[in-house]
Amino acid sequence: MQTWEQIINTALLGTDKRTLAISEWPPELAAVAAQLQASVTDREDLFLQTAALAFNYRQCGAKPLQKEGLSITKAQLEEKQYCSPLALQTLKDIFDSESISLLQFWLQLCEAKGRIVTPEFVPELLNLGIPQKKLQNLVAACCGKRGEWLARFNPEWNFSTATTDTELWQTGSIEQRKGVLEELRKTDATTAREWVLQTWAQEDAATKVEFLLILANNVNEGDIAFLESLSKEKSKKVRDLALWLLKQIPGSPIVQQYQQVLQKTVTIGKKGLQIKLPAGLDESIFKTGIDKLSNSKEFTDEEFIVMQLMQSVPPLFWENRLNSTPDLIIRTMQKDATNKKFLPALVQAVVAFKDQRWATAFMQNSQVFYIDIIPLLPVKEQEFYSIKFIDQFAENIIEHAIKREDTWSIDLTRAIFIHTARSVYQYNRSFYSRYIHCIPVGIVTELEKCAPPEEYLATTWRNTGEYITRLLELKKQTIQSFND
Amino acid sequence: MQLSEEQVLALAPDESSKKSGKELCNPAKWVSRGVNELALWGECQGSGSKPYQAQVDLVNIAFKCSCPSRKFPCKHGIGLLLLYARYKTAFTSTAMPAWVSEWISKRSERQEKQAVQKERAVDEAAQAKRRQAREQKVSDGIEELLQWIKDIIRNGIINIPEKGSAWFENMARRLVDAQAPGLAGMLKNIAAINFYREGWQSEFIDQLLRLYIVATGYRNSASLSPLLQQDLRSWIGFTQNQDELKEQTGITDTWLVLGKQLTEEDNLTIERNWLYGVTSNRYALVLQFLIRGQGGQLSLTPGLFVQAELVFYPSTVPLRAIVKNQIATEKTQQYKGFANWQEVVEAETALSAAWPVRSERPFIVEQLRPVYFEQQWWLQDCNHAMMPIKSGFNSIWKLLSLSGGEPLNIAVVGKEKLYEPFGVWYQQEYKIL
Repeated sequence: MQTWEQIINTALLGTDKRTLAISEWPPELAAVAAQLQASVTDREDLFLQTAALAFNYRQCGAKPLQKEGLSITKAQLEEKQYCSPLALQTLKDIFDSESISLLQFWLQLCEAKGRIVTPEFVPELLNLGIPQKKLQNLVAACCGKRGEWLARFNPEWNFSTATTDTELWQTGSIEQRKGVLEELRKTDATTAREWVLQTWAQEDAATKVEFLLILANNVNEGDIAFLESLSKEKSKKVRDLALWLLKQIPGSPIVQQYQQVLQKTVTIGKKGLQIKLPAGLDESIFKTGIDKLSNSKEFTDEEFIVMQLMQSVPPLFWENRLNSTPDLIIRTMQKDATNKKFLPALVQAVVAFKDQRWATAFMQNSQVFYIDIIPLLPVKEQEFYSIKFIDQFAENIIEHAIKREDTWSIDLTRAIFIHTARSVYQYNRSFYSRYIHCIPVGIVTELEKCAPPEEYLATTWRNTGEYITRLLELKKQTIQSFND
Repeated sequence: MQLSEEQVLALAPDESSKKSGKELCNPAKWVSRGVNELALWGECQGSGSKPYQAQVDLVNIAFKCSCPSRKFPCKHGIGLLLLYARYKTAFTSTAMPAWVSEWISKRSERQEKQAVQKERAVDEAAQAKRRQAREQKVSDGIEELLQWIKDIIRNGIINIPEKGSAWFENMARRLVDAQAPGLAGMLKNIAAINFYREGWQSEFIDQLLRLYIVATGYRNSASLSPLLQQDLRSWIGFTQNQDELKEQTGITDTWLVLGKQLTEEDNLTIERNWLYGVTSNRYALVLQFLIRGQGGQLSLTPGLFVQAELVFYPSTVPLRAIVKNQIATEKTQQYKGFANWQEVVEAETALSAAWPVRSERPFIVEQLRPVYFEQQWWLQDCNHAMMPIKSGFNSIWKLLSLSGGEPLNIAVVGKEKLYEPFGVWYQQEYKIL
């Protein structure tokens, strides 16, 4: 409005320097302004009254902007059902609890049941997904079509736009790509490798490392050609990682080569295994990450080489080579001081080749507890040994337990809590909040039993227990609300 | 008195008290719990050997607790009220223990004393003298203010940003001394203008003119209608006697609580409740002033339909009202909003013509959809007319998500060309944004 601009310009300079001209004003306004000019003598009063008149004229004449052709695309209709009111109330409570682990648990159930949240929850969930990259796929799934539509207006929420795994792999962020690759690798190792191959040339070294680490899961003979081709990669990290993976595939040339060397090196005698490197040892093995010189006082150079080779040979080789069973081999080796030194190398081979039979044999026959073997055991045995050795290896056992995605048994939880209740600083509230998905609801009634005898610790534990109880109530409520 | 969880949390002095209060909302934490029509009490086991004794006066909300916290109310008070809001059945005892009954009876004694003081005869002559003295003071203050405004206009406003807020506050203080707190408040608003923002000149002149209109209007009020005189007096800061208002007959209707705005000044929380009467088709603003730690007499929860009798303050454009009687809470009712923006601006024109200085008002506008145009969000009606949404509106994403591109009936507060959405009807349910 030109009139208003004239007023502002006059006000800026002041009535001392400038007089308000009303000649170009709308006629009805100019007429009243002219009357004022005739009757008001004081310059400032005249300006203020004229301006006040124009102010209300402007205010009274305010109109909306008429704009044809401007529109907004509509969100697609939802294909999935909305969650129950109870589930949504629980989600609200989970927002309040600030436990990301509970949120993840809720989202997993919601996705598994094929449900979505109502539109009012969508923005908050999308916002939570921004820093929580791991939750992004779940958030996108639970926000349905409305989330997909809303994300078009906010680039930070872009993670929800691609829905199929292939789309995510092709267009998603690095975290999303890792996520889908990891899932695919579990179910279809070959396609996962093919995906990696398709884009390999375009990836930077850091991403290549990330992808290779994912391929470590379910690494198999089909991967050999690809992994061998990586020996020409620029990045040393990538080359080393490829080699490390090759050493975990029983059929790979490198493992075969090691086996051939060990075949000639190890014989069985009265005292157990006899070790002597053959003359004219194939020097090429030293180009595959095997050190020639020992870095430990315990091992001679020769033993050191053999120890390294043992780490990368499937335990099954020893059954064939020695024509014996895992139990017998372990027991025999334990009897001899020199042989005993090689047991940790054998354990590493068991872990690398994920040999469950050998893992069980080690747990049953070894005088030493090897924590690395725990993940290879069936869940029941894992828990049995975790509880058995928790007093000696509490931290390691807890470290392994929190890596699990499933719920712990009540017995294991109790054993863990008895330990964590004593270390209130190391295992504070955020520990329980973070791993609440592992903690079974049924432990609520047993929390009191986990209290340490010292009064000062017991008081703290009571408070922590109440916090855990509250989280578990939410967890229970989540389970219930998706059961209906 | 029935307080919702939301209302209880609004009483908390800070975020950490809210959080701690929530943690205490657990029956296991309370050794004893009791309630009757006068008080709510409980003993909470804290870190000490004796449990803390927390009590709440339910008639005139007030707190007392034996814990050493300096916060008011402390987490125990908040926790106790939250517990009552969530688990009423956990409050089994109704007989007040000694520590509660002593406190309650002391409080009621004090209130009775105050009531007796109120009832004492008023010396009318002295009152008239005081009134006259005040009016003289206000008139003097206004003369000074007008001179100050004219000086600004004479010298030009180009150098105003350099003056700094102290310059305005100085004038505001003089107006407080002149017993014109309303004008002082308007000046404080001018001081709060962001002079670094483009367009400050227009905003400044707007506010200055409003001040000028009120000041000159008051000077010339003898020739104006009584209602306009009332408007001027209330903008200057003369208070309306609420007891007198309550004696008048109000409008009984079912009022939908459209929204609630909270602003804080020093230790005072101002609660602005926007209401809409479904039968009378009138909008109302009910203010409640809360002093830290004291609950309000009113509990208006946004989204609820409340049957109540409201008395409006006398005005040419009545908006502010007091609740004379709150009868009951009702279920969802039908309502009728403005069909489009044209209807809104027409209503606005009528209001501005009657009283140009008026502040923003609520409107229910039907079938609006959010659209993005020229780097900002607008609300577009069914005729493709649109108004911009106030910048800094936090809940745009929630609004957008509820809309999904479809038009919604929206409650907004604003005036002229800027509106802020408050709530929307989503599947026949009113949702607060």
